[in-house]
Amino acid sequence: MRKRVCALLFILMATVACAAQQADDSGIKTKIMALEQLLKLHAYQAKDAKVLDALLDDKFVAVDPVGKLQTKAELLEFVQMSDSLQYLTSQMIVRVHNNAAIVTGLFQLKGAVQGRSLQQSGRFVDTWLFKEGHWVAIASLSTPSK
Amino acid sequence: MRGFCCFSKAENAMKCLVTLMLLVGAYALPVFGQEPADAGTVAAILALEHAWTVGQSRNDNRALNLIFDNDLIYVEYGNLVSKADYLSRVKQEAPELDQILMERTIVRVFGSTAIVTGAYIEKQLQSGRPSVRRWRFIDTWVYQENGWTLVAAGASPVTK
Repeated sequence: MRKRVCALLFILMATVACAAQQADDSGIKTKIMALEQLLKLHAYQAKDAKVLDALLDDKFVAVDPVGKLQTKAELLEFVQMSDSLQYLTSQMIVRVHNNAAIVTGLFQLKGAVQGRSLQQSGRFVDTWLFKEGHWVAIASLSTPSK
Repeated sequence: MRGFCCFSKAENAMKCLVTLMLLVGAYALPVFGQEPADAGTVAAILALEHAWTVGQSRNDNRALNLIFDNDLIYVEYGNLVSKADYLSRVKQEAPELDQILMERTIVRVFGSTAIVTGAYIEKQLQSGRPSVRRWRFIDTWVYQENGWTLVAAGASPVTK
């Protein structure tokens, strides 16, 4: 009888722990999606250097759809010199691994940079890291559709 | 798919050896450019990147299964490829690539997360014609219960 009670208690605790973990992950996923929107929908379009600086880690690195490697400074410069940028995302999926989160989704980039129009679409993969109490993006890959 | 380097058994044994040596060289050199505190982690990640390439060249799904996280996100030409899909393809498809030449690879360590960036040149035969394409990639590794596992990877063709 004692064994059964212990087993039931163990299952109950495991279920509660699992549910708590799922709730935690769900909260993180919601937050990460909101940060993605803030970064891509707002900060790129509004050239909001302050938000970009806060959301991108100093060691952030990106690969754009034409295979160009960009550091944080280079991305900030690109955003600042753009005439207009509209970065739309859809079908986002977030996966949480300890203090890291991976986001993938489809993107559509429209705009103009120094008078030249820009139109790209494909899939992105971003890596976010929970660092010093905040989520920051540490890597971003954008790959074109075939 | 990155890492494919398939060779016909006899005629290209030497080519395979040379390529593997190039791969080892490409992976080993950047270790010296990293911060000392991260050197061990960097070496471990580079070894895993190398194991991925070798595992794939040998269609070794068992090795790849250990390297890839179950929730792996792999992106290729705008498509999302799951771990199961990736392994299934490695197992079933006859690889067509002739050679993968790795270029400089850099590992950035953020505690239990590591970002690998680099480029590689893919030489392959397409319908009997040789083609060369350069790719730039980003891989994300996370340290979990069973060690470092690949949680995300993708590459973009270098067109400019």
